Amino acid sequence: MSVTRRELFSRLRSGGLLDEAPLNGLALAARGHEEDSALSFWGQAGGRGRGAGAASQAAAPSIKLSSNENPMGPGRAVLNAITGRFGETMRYPFNVSPGDAQLIETIAAQHKAKPENVALGAGSQEILKVAVWGYTSPARHLVTATPTFENATGTARRMGHPVVEVKVDGQFRLDLEGMLANARGAGLIFVNNPNNPTATVHSGAAIRDFVERVRRISPDSVILIDEAYHEYVTDPAYETAIPIALNTPNVFVARTFSKAYGMAGMRIGYAIGMKDTVRPLARLALPFNISVLGTIAALTALNDPKHMAAERDRNTQARDFTQKALDALGCRSTVSHTNFLFTNVGRSAAAFRTACAAQGIQVGRDFPPFEGSHARISIGTMEEMQKAVAVFRDVLAPANVGGGERA
Amino acid sequence: MVTRRDFVRTVGVGAAGALSTSWISARGREDSVWSLVEPGLQAQAPGPIIPLSSNENPMGPGQVVLDAITSAFGPAGATPGRYSSATNDLRDALAKSLGVTPANITFGCGSTQILRTSTHVFTARDKALVGTIPTYEECAGYADMLGHPVRAVSLDRNFRADLDRLLDASRGAGLVFYCNPNNPVATYVGARETKEFIARVHRVSPETTILVDEAYFEYVTHPDHQSMIPLAIEDPRIVVARTFSKAYGIAGLRLGYAVGHPDAIRKMNAWDNASGTSSLNVLALHAGIAAIGQGPAFVDAERARNAAARDFTIKWFADRGMRSTESHANFIFTNIGVPARQFRDGCAAKGVRVGRDFPPFEQAWCRISIGTMDEMKRAVAVFGEVLGKPGAIVAA
Repeated sequence: MSVTRRELFSRLRSGGLLDEAPLNGLALAARGHEEDSALSFWGQAGGRGRGAGAASQAAAPSIKLSSNENPMGPGRAVLNAITGRFGETMRYPFNVSPGDAQLIETIAAQHKAKPENVALGAGSQEILKVAVWGYTSPARHLVTATPTFENATGTARRMGHPVVEVKVDGQFRLDLEGMLANARGAGLIFVNNPNNPTATVHSGAAIRDFVERVRRISPDSVILIDEAYHEYVTDPAYETAIPIALNTPNVFVARTFSKAYGMAGMRIGYAIGMKDTVRPLARLALPFNISVLGTIAALTALNDPKHMAAERDRNTQARDFTQKALDALGCRSTVSHTNFLFTNVGRSAAAFRTACAAQGIQVGRDFPPFEGSHARISIGTMEEMQKAVAVFRDVLAPANVGGGERA
Repeated sequence: MVTRRDFVRTVGVGAAGALSTSWISARGREDSVWSLVEPGLQAQAPGPIIPLSSNENPMGPGQVVLDAITSAFGPAGATPGRYSSATNDLRDALAKSLGVTPANITFGCGSTQILRTSTHVFTARDKALVGTIPTYEECAGYADMLGHPVRAVSLDRNFRADLDRLLDASRGAGLVFYCNPNNPVATYVGARETKEFIARVHRVSPETTILVDEAYFEYVTHPDHQSMIPLAIEDPRIVVARTFSKAYGIAGLRLGYAVGHPDAIRKMNAWDNASGTSSLNVLALHAGIAAIGQGPAFVDAERARNAAARDFTIKWFADRGMRSTESHANFIFTNIGVPARQFRDGCAAKGVRVGRDFPPFEQAWCRISIGTMDEMKRAVAVFGEVLGKPGAIVAA
């Protein structure tokens, strides 16, 4: 089907970006970003002080368990591939081969889709951002969870578009029923599966059912299923929603190379879904947003499935070790299908974070409404987790609980 | 499927107020999106290509930049797995080299992001974007997508910005996009005239922001050449866009920046900086720091190298009766006397890639990026064959 530019723009307009007046310095809503760069930027904006927004740092070399990164990095094959492309750093990403077009083709082929089904983003954050730009408006709200990855929430708030946050359920899973109840008339529904920071996952059947029911009551609402942690899931009932997205209007999946692929620093993510859903995202995203070196890194990684399987196993082992050690301290974690734990540390996340930082371990930021009891702990290497667990034992030992209001 | 051709419409050299849809017809994305939609757009010749289509630095970055990228991998190669916090180091290095404060700077994933953010923040449905036609099209394309009006102003007879008409069009505008040197026509307006123009705009239209795009700043060889950065840091209505994609030779890494008054930078940050920061890859951050560290000697050498290859190419055309505009960039805009598409296809078949269509001049003019001297010598041989002009290499 032919889509004219006019149709595309009218679609974007109906989606809401074009109702947007220029903004005048609205503050960024609470950090919707994992990376320290954003935190330290805002720290600086508030008056210099590098990293002023981040946890206090120990003098000793620290182990960073705060941003759900892959501690192993991208892998040797990827790094060799990057070095091999140094001769092309002066070329735009569309002037090298393989370039961004080949990355799109490769991603599409892996999912039995066409290039028109894929849009690249500078990290999946750009995908989330342009989805909010394009699909919400003052009249069409964002439905999201709390807590969840806050990027979409922050973007919508900055634009002054309404946001409905639905608290996770008693098992810290997305409350799909509650989200469904707020779906009618929504512009965008953000479903983070697995959910950051609570680490929980919904089954393929549950997502399929959710999509069908949203489609029945609010067919114009766009459903964004963010599968940033897809590669780490070990629940057999889990399925990617990509096949649903490729066959259902107004549904798309976001993926990233920042997590299991170990390339958070390279800034590569993508959206995949039906052409009419994805095309506005591609138009709103920055042109040539993936660097030449990022492109070759992603292509190399996609062609190395064994490396990915090994990374999943490595993470699972370190995660299980850490979870058991925390269990032994009486600190329960949610059922994690990611590279982090969401753990009831029996005190405020701030207190836990500060105590850990004093011993060289950086753990996650506050995640309201659970910041009084739960901390998010990213999974590093087994060696890092062994050192971290020693610190956790010290910090969380019953004698150190203080108020001792552990639930 | 949308083809690029659907959007390409020839327009006359009109007065201020030409329709935005015609202005943006050539699009400002240096082929990116369309290369995805139309994979066949970039015809590939067998054998090595001489890419003279995207105004890149053919030499690439200095060795210290490549070394910095290697170092950025970290000792165990794990560093790219982390979100980077090097943005502040880059900001500090840049501020120092420019003689401004970190609060005067914000970054973009290429200056494209700066152009888009400026358009978003400073234009509105009742606050138009103003620019020359042709110019680099990103702002106009984005304004059009936003539904914000665009006023296009034709160039003067020497293909320079027509400052009087630009001034007229600026009354009540939200943003004037002032690309200097101007892509694709390569002409430059001297610093004195530019400063006067800015002052005049602000006399007749005090609320209007002027975005001075200095993407090709390092290549200028004009006697009255100065950056507008000193003005911008004093006046929130002036923003300067810069890039590492041109003279610094790292277009592939995607790094640009804006310099301005803290109030303007804050306004831009409030819209897109957190995301802007997150769109920068760690290798680019370290490459940018190393690129700045090379000091003025690197840029001086690159300017001289480019000027020599540029002069050679302009002379080759001039010797055959084809005039070019006065170029202060790493590309030339040349009256080849045949449609750009015909010339482009002919060159592509022989392994030389030249610039896309730039309405309203696409029937007789072509933009040719400047490669190395060796590449230009080989390229003019191809140009001679394609244009039916004799004597491939007559002068060096």
